[in-house]
Amino acid sequence: MLSYAGVSAQAPLSFEDIKVGEEFISPGRTVTEMDVVLFAGLSGDYNVLHTDAEHMKSSQFGERIAHGLLVLSLQQGLVSRIAPELVELPMAELAWKFRGPIKIGDTVHVVARVSDKRPADRPGVGIVTIARRVLNQRGEVVQEGESEHMVERRLG
Amino acid sequence: MPRTERCSYFEDVEIGVPLETPAMTVTAAHVSLFAGLSGGAPPTDPDVVPHLLALCLSSGLGWRVPRPPLVVLAFMGFDWKFHLPIRIGDTIRSRSHTASKRSMKEGGVVFEHRDLVNQRGEIVQSGRLTLLVAKRKSA
Repeated sequence: MLSYAGVSAQAPLSFEDIKVGEEFISPGRTVTEMDVVLFAGLSGDYNVLHTDAEHMKSSQFGERIAHGLLVLSLQQGLVSRIAPELVELPMAELAWKFRGPIKIGDTVHVVARVSDKRPADRPGVGIVTIARRVLNQRGEVVQEGESEHMVERRLG
Repeated sequence: MPRTERCSYFEDVEIGVPLETPAMTVTAAHVSLFAGLSGGAPPTDPDVVPHLLALCLSSGLGWRVPRPPLVVLAFMGFDWKFHLPIRIGDTIRSRSHTASKRSMKEGGVVFEHRDLVNQRGEIVQSGRLTLLVAKRKSA
């Protein structure tokens, strides 16, 4: 008989389980032309920065660059491969900086760290902060930011 | 003169003028494509649209305003808040205005406030985006 018990989600994290200072390093992922084209189609952002190779030859970058929000999305996927229970907690806030261009063929990975946790105003709820950095194959930080997530908190 | 794409530059950006995009219904196809592209963990609730997908869709919607497209040189960053969940079948649009702008040597920085609104008029996400915008080339 088929059973889906084995694929059910793991027990949700609670505020008490979260360790401030814990660090996660994601696998890498190469950003491809297909990623950029798919993202343009999905988002509707066809800015020449991402879609016109000839125009970009004469730009400071010399070629098309990936959408910042594409790499932000890849980043979320990469972190969820090592800490899904953490980064899939409901997000309340996200502060993000795009530091440098990501070109087609660049390989990015993410370093994420639990930087803070605190009780929320609402009883039974906590807020956990995750600091994230996206690095390219040369170790340069190309994006970074912090996300705040809501997590259940035991009372009493 | 042949017709070319008209553009807006830093000088054209007016503070406080409200801009509203057309609305778009978020479908299961959007969610599937996004899941395949981003490679995230499977959602705990398959009816809920990933937070970041909605933000990405708002970036495309942002070009569909009654203003020639801004010559954006770089997206510098954002501060964003997620207020309410978005479900498959919800219809979102974005309302924005320029909160302030600052001239730089090369181009200028534009701070845009943006609300993402659902079909009931509820603000589901909102925040501030920072864009580096080109200046008009002096002839």
